[in-house]
Amino acid sequence: MITITHYLVFSALLFCISVAGIFINRRNILLLLMSIELMLLSINTNFIIFSHYSNDITGQVFVFFILAVAAAESAIGLAIIVSLFRLKNSLDIDTISNLKG
Amino acid sequence: MDITTILFYLVTTVIILSSVSMIIVNNTVHAALLLVLIFFNSAILWLMLQAEFLSIILVLVYVGAVLVLFLFVVMLLDLPKKQKANQKLYLLFSIITSVVMFIELYIVIFYQDFSNSLIAIPLPESNNTYEIGLMLFTDYVFSFEVTAFILLVAIIAAIAINISDKQKALRQDPGKQVLENKSDRLKIIKDDDL
Repeated sequence: MITITHYLVFSALLFCISVAGIFINRRNILLLLMSIELMLLSINTNFIIFSHYSNDITGQVFVFFILAVAAAESAIGLAIIVSLFRLKNSLDIDTISNLKG
Repeated sequence: MDITTILFYLVTTVIILSSVSMIIVNNTVHAALLLVLIFFNSAILWLMLQAEFLSIILVLVYVGAVLVLFLFVVMLLDLPKKQKANQKLYLLFSIITSVVMFIELYIVIFYQDFSNSLIAIPLPESNNTYEIGLMLFTDYVFSFEVTAFILLVAIIAAIAINISDKQKALRQDPGKQVLENKSDRLKIIKDDDL
């Protein structure tokens, strides 16, 4: 019997794997963006789990909004990546130091 | 073991294995394709949680549009091979961070008693899409319109970031053509001047 704990542990595991992905792939912005998508997926799964188990449709409405915002975010992020690659000819985070921060 | 249990373990195993291989794989194209697999399996998981509308949206919008956009960008850019230097330290840090986070989350989830606050009854037998639509256009209609505006802003921003000022193609500029007058173009030299 699959309980809510099974689903929540799976979602937490997916989130932790994508956090590790951000650390490992910090030299490639494209893979960073993919890891962020994975984190958003685990958060959305959490929303749907609680929506299912508390018998409330509101959680699914919020997932709808998060999906729309995530699509907008990835579209702008990819546009930034393309123009950055045109400027620097690489996707390495270490070469992006124009602002000297 | 009923079919739901088997399906849950199958789907979650595929998701976890492919996400682990996504973050350590060397090739960006392979990472994007593994992300497609992860999203598709997540759609199956959402279907098991009776979120039919969102699981179809995940396949259509995410796998169909966003991840194809990712693949398109990966193939558009001529990416150099990933450097291997200095990776050991970050691998160690990432493992420590994620393991600590997972243990904490596991303790919180496992010792939380959900049985009082949550009753595991399935959503009502009505249409899932109908329920979401009813919520979207009554209680959350303002948020819905803000979402539409966010998508518009995303379209304009994505175009504005990548537009280039340098005019590469030869094309007519009607504004300049209208402003031209005869003296700019034509110089009359009479025989008397020579």
